[in-house]
Amino acid sequence: MKYSDPQLVEHLASAYVLGTLTGGARRRFERLRADRPDVQLATARWEARLGQLAHSVPALRPSPRVWKAIEARTRAPAAAAPRSGGSWLRPAGWGFGGVAAGVLATVALLFSAPTLFLTADQVAMRAGEKLPQSYVGLLTDTQGNGKLLVSSLRHGRTMTVKVIGPITPPASGRLVLWAVPATGAAFALGTVPASGSAVSQLPGTSEQLLSKVTKLVVTLETTEAPSTPGTAVFSGNCAKLW
Amino acid sequence: MHPDSASLQELLAQTARGDHAAFARVYERTHAHLFGLALRMLGREQAAEDVLQEAFVSIWKSAGQYRSRVEGQDIQPMTWLIAIVRNKSLDALRARTRRKETALPDADALDADEDASATGPASPSALDLLSQATQALQIEGCMNTLEGSYRQSLALAYYQGLSHTEVAAQMGAPLGSVKAWIRRGLERLKSCLASKGLAA
Repeated sequence: MKYSDPQLVEHLASAYVLGTLTGGARRRFERLRADRPDVQLATARWEARLGQLAHSVPALRPSPRVWKAIEARTRAPAAAAPRSGGSWLRPAGWGFGGVAAGVLATVALLFSAPTLFLTADQVAMRAGEKLPQSYVGLLTDTQGNGKLLVSSLRHGRTMTVKVIGPITPPASGRLVLWAVPATGAAFALGTVPASGSAVSQLPGTSEQLLSKVTKLVVTLETTEAPSTPGTAVFSGNCAKLW
Repeated sequence: MHPDSASLQELLAQTARGDHAAFARVYERTHAHLFGLALRMLGREQAAEDVLQEAFVSIWKSAGQYRSRVEGQDIQPMTWLIAIVRNKSLDALRARTRRKETALPDADALDADEDASATGPASPSALDLLSQATQALQIEGCMNTLEGSYRQSLALAYYQGLSHTEVAAQMGAPLGSVKAWIRRGLERLKSCLASKGLAA
């Protein structure tokens, strides 16, 4: 089957979200979606459409034992420990060691949350031994608090920007993420979400864009298409994960 | 953006950072709606409770994967939560179908009894739910230009999680027709929503 046909992708996405795509076809579609931003988008759009039909279903309270069971399973040390978020990211700002700590923290986060890559490189996921070859960046504020995790597969064309520390949305303008090569001019990679994470399409592969990039910075910009970065609000190294 | 959904988004972001109290608030705010949805699909309280539990354990683990935007498209937190619960419900339904196919006749009969008792006469039909939803979205007129069988098959697939084969059996219609009706129903839903500027 040719998955390059947008009409086919649209049809499969609608059947997937409705639930009429079943069995092997359903699993194949999930694998396709994991690797393809266009399929992710088509699916997200159908989830938004069909999700609106759910609101006519009467709400009902389940037994309190449901929450007790969820609590028991989510408060367990094994589930909670690797999710500590901010605390172990703090050393990232400590002077020279901060760079190494930042990279280590990033690697630790990627190991503890390998699902970050579910949408990207299934082969490496399945091997379970090695992280996929990727470009990663951990950006901190001037006090060294972890703010953003930027990741992109080495040969991928999408970039994920995940907010890992609270970000105060600017009163005006927007936060722009820049790539700063060792030599040459900085270029904008995209905007930064206020919370959660955002996936965006890159104009080329990460390898083409980021192989000579050493630093990532976030600046507050007020013009539509700034050509050079202003003052950095967050910054961090761009590291190769291989 | 609606203020409620904005804060649900923030609660999900806190959940992703391991804040269990925020996670508890996500549950408190959304579980009754999500449970209603799972119960409607599964027809049995125990099965719906199991699905709700699985869904929230998965939400706790994957809250960091919630993306407020995908390729420039805003994703409401509730849309994301509904998709998780529907997917878990669909998995449970398909697993139940597989079990029934291999079950002994006695177990089969027992299942059939439970199914009959689960959806009482008081619960609205799938078609009623679709009609209420389209009315609330102000696309009822647009959707009603479709024949009843088209809407009925879409409603059964959506609210009861039935497969093409199951919809065909329930409606006593040929499988090929049901597939075409559902496909047309989805296309119409898309164009009706787009004409109202909703989730185009």
